[in-house]
Amino acid sequence: MSDNFFKFMTRRRFLGASAGVAALQFIPYEAWSAEEKQLNVYNWDTYIGETTLPNFTKQTGIKVQYDLFGDNEEMFAKLKAGNPGYDIIVPTDYMVEDMLTLDMLETLDHSKLPNMSHLDKAFLNPAYDPGLKHSLPYMWGTMGYGYRKSKVKGTPDSWSHILENKDPSLSKRMSLLSDQRAVLGGALKYLGYSMNSHSATEIGKARDLVISAKKDILTFAEDNGQDLLVSGEVDLCLEWSGDIAAVMADDSDLNYVVPKEGSNVWVDNLCIPKGAPHPGNAHTFINFLHDVEVHMEIANTIYFATPNASAKAKMSADYTENPAVFAPADVLSRCEAILSVGDDARLYDEAWTAVQAA
Amino acid sequence: MKAMKDAPLKKKRYGKLVNPLDYTRKGWMQTLLGINFFFLYFPIVALVAFSFNDSKRNIVWKGFTFKYYIKAYNNEALHSSFMNSITVASISTVVSTLLGTMLGLALYRYRFPFKPAYEGFAHLPIMIPEICMGIAMLVFFSLINMPLSLFTITVSHIAFTIPFVAVVIRARMSGFDTSYEEVSYDLGASQWQTFWNVTFPYLRPGVVAGALLAFTLSIDDFVITFFTAGIGSTTLPIKIYSMLRFSVTPEVNAASTVLIVLTLTLTILAMTIQARANKR
Amino acid sequence: MEDWRKNKFAFGIFIGPATFWLVLFFMLPLAVVWVYSFGGRGPQGQTIITFSLANYQRALEWIHLGIIWKSAWIAGIATLLCLLMGFPLAKGIAFAPAKWKNPLLLIVILPFWTNLLIRTYSWIAVLRTRGHLNFALEWLHDKTDMAMTFLGLPELMGTFHPLALLYNQSAVIIGLVYVHLPFMVLPLYASMEKLDRSYLEASLDLGAGHWRTLFNVTVPLVKPGILSGVLLTYILSIGSFLTPDLLGGTESMMIGNLIAQQFGSSRDWAFGSALSFLLMYATFIILWIKTVNAKDGEATGI
Repeated sequence: MSDNFFKFMTRRRFLGASAGVAALQFIPYEAWSAEEKQLNVYNWDTYIGETTLPNFTKQTGIKVQYDLFGDNEEMFAKLKAGNPGYDIIVPTDYMVEDMLTLDMLETLDHSKLPNMSHLDKAFLNPAYDPGLKHSLPYMWGTMGYGYRKSKVKGTPDSWSHILENKDPSLSKRMSLLSDQRAVLGGALKYLGYSMNSHSATEIGKARDLVISAKKDILTFAEDNGQDLLVSGEVDLCLEWSGDIAAVMADDSDLNYVVPKEGSNVWVDNLCIPKGAPHPGNAHTFINFLHDVEVHMEIANTIYFATPNASAKAKMSADYTENPAVFAPADVLSRCEAILSVGDDARLYDEAWTAVQAA
Repeated sequence: MKAMKDAPLKKKRYGKLVNPLDYTRKGWMQTLLGINFFFLYFPIVALVAFSFNDSKRNIVWKGFTFKYYIKAYNNEALHSSFMNSITVASISTVVSTLLGTMLGLALYRYRFPFKPAYEGFAHLPIMIPEICMGIAMLVFFSLINMPLSLFTITVSHIAFTIPFVAVVIRARMSGFDTSYEEVSYDLGASQWQTFWNVTFPYLRPGVVAGALLAFTLSIDDFVITFFTAGIGSTTLPIKIYSMLRFSVTPEVNAASTVLIVLTLTLTILAMTIQARANKR
Repeated sequence: MEDWRKNKFAFGIFIGPATFWLVLFFMLPLAVVWVYSFGGRGPQGQTIITFSLANYQRALEWIHLGIIWKSAWIAGIATLLCLLMGFPLAKGIAFAPAKWKNPLLLIVILPFWTNLLIRTYSWIAVLRTRGHLNFALEWLHDKTDMAMTFLGLPELMGTFHPLALLYNQSAVIIGLVYVHLPFMVLPLYASMEKLDRSYLEASLDLGAGHWRTLFNVTVPLVKPGILSGVLLTYILSIGSFLTPDLLGGTESMMIGNLIAQQFGSSRDWAFGSALSFLLMYATFIILWIKTVNAKDGEATGI
């Protein structure tokens, strides 16, 4: 960040910090056993099993301080100025990529993570972190429509349902997410472009499409589309898969579908940020989370898709056959991860501001 | 004792006859107040009522239950975040009321060079968008190598509440009749005695209003707190923010109801004690 | 007003601690962000210090000016409503019997000790299509309908259509009024409480009605309180972003949301800082105009 500025401002501090980092790299892993029995975790809320943390403490004697963030950018802002002391963070794919570029993540020691062997092979070599050197997939999911079956005719399996609505009864009965890359990405997909387009023309077309769709949209929901759906405020909402899966369990009139043109598929990852005070405990924790029994409990609680093949094999059909957890393979093949677009982020930002101001 | 009892009676009778300024006793004023209180409390009453609703969602009434209270009671993260919030709000209210009151008095009382510029500076924390201040504090604390904790939250809260207190104090002081102070000096009182026995009693309602404002701002602040919070220093608004992000359940309602009842009880207790002390 | 040189020691004691605190824990942090506002965004969302005015130029593009203008009038309406509600409220408390003042003040403040987000979500529960208000209206409608049918006037009422109360600008304004009311009531109360009642009595004795007394005597006397309240409410409303986020529909973006977007998903801290400073400069100008207009030469505080 402003690193140039910081180096300039507090050169001494910078030198001290880099010396510290260098020293850390020379400490053999065995020395970590001398770490105090403490672990500072920074995770999304309701993103862990109910007994996971107490069990971890019981098994290892390591006390867990569990703090929460609401989105990737909040977490990034907090660590951008220097790690305040977290050992574990859970960034999404594109954020892993950016944090790697900025050298904010520790290298993982795979010998300390035997449970990696449970991972589905499809997750072993992601584009954002080849060879999983700095991150380990935790949960994944898609973005799609949550909808009320009794109110929506047929299956709303295309972006056209929300971007070019033909059904007057759904006017002002639909919500989009308040997330620029997700919404503009959906429009880009519908237009046949990539979600990670760098072209100003393509992004401009997507912007105009969303603006023209606004007349039928009730609101850009702050990740609470599932609440709007349940309370009957909307009949169709754009949301993340697990959020809809959670409410589908209580209301059989709800369903989830990923638009056939393709959508976003994302992976949240367990990472150790640079400057973590307890990297040894962090490895123990990451390994613990991928223990088959432990992982099953988490998946059963939060209902996102697991990358842990051994755990998935032992889960019930309620979970493995659930369309809101695992999207069909053919649709999935058309889905994309949101990638970092570098300086072109400005194009998305301006398009999104135009959408909201229009 | 008897005389004291009679005095307010007499005043009341007198008031009923001639004093048209008892606005609060008038029907139309009471109606207006009623409408205002309805506006203020309608959402709160709904919130409290639905904390007893036997449904995961806050929509239709499904029956009475206490289970969300039990759930909130067993939620340890909620407890610690509540204690954190109270600690931060109490300390920052005390410090900022003290500093803000002095600042307000100084601005009211003294003429000094570059005063308009100074005033602008002192009021900046009110004008700055919260999120900008949050980022500024975060970057600053990391620059000076100060670990984020409850301390950094408190320090920031004090900084942004001082001007609010000063504003209220200043509004209270403008129009203060300085001749009271002069009389006090003439009668041989020292500066300190004059301040304590003449100025301060006049000032007190302003101090109370300022302190209430500071407490309200601090206990409810999310944005600045988020950026200045370190490991384990999750406050209630941060906790609630993340709970609400997932879903609005009656557990949140139950926790807020407990908070309302708790603050109400504590404040009534404090007020009764104060009233008793005043009687003596 | 005294000259500070007359009593340097007392002046120092009054002004010193707050100044120290604000310089150390506000001015210095702010300086960093001020430097940022001349910077730029790196490809990963870093802040690069470049010393250019590009961010300010960008902030003055039409689209951003439009958002600022919209925020200005939404905050204006909210402030006006706050004043209309807060004035009688403050007056009612200030003129209440002494022992009722603090309890009444407490009743006004109490809702604000409930978390802002929870309060906002409560409003969602009140205003939404299947919210408390629409349920109440439906109930009323049904009862009237029943009574009408009873009176031999069926079909007059028609069927009940829930009102669209949420996700529009009026919902945002309601939310802003609700959130910012204490910032109006407290300064108003503080200045109204000290009102010398003999002026009011004199005005009434001399034959002026209550309205005339209100506008010709009370309002001028509590003007500092009104100004403080109005400016506090306005400044806080114009910068808010959670209320428009949660209660507003698709066209309720305010300048606060734009700033939050820059510090959040767009990760353009430099542009966010520039927007923030622009907003502050604008506020400064309003304050400056106010000071210039104040005839007695005595600034009244914010």
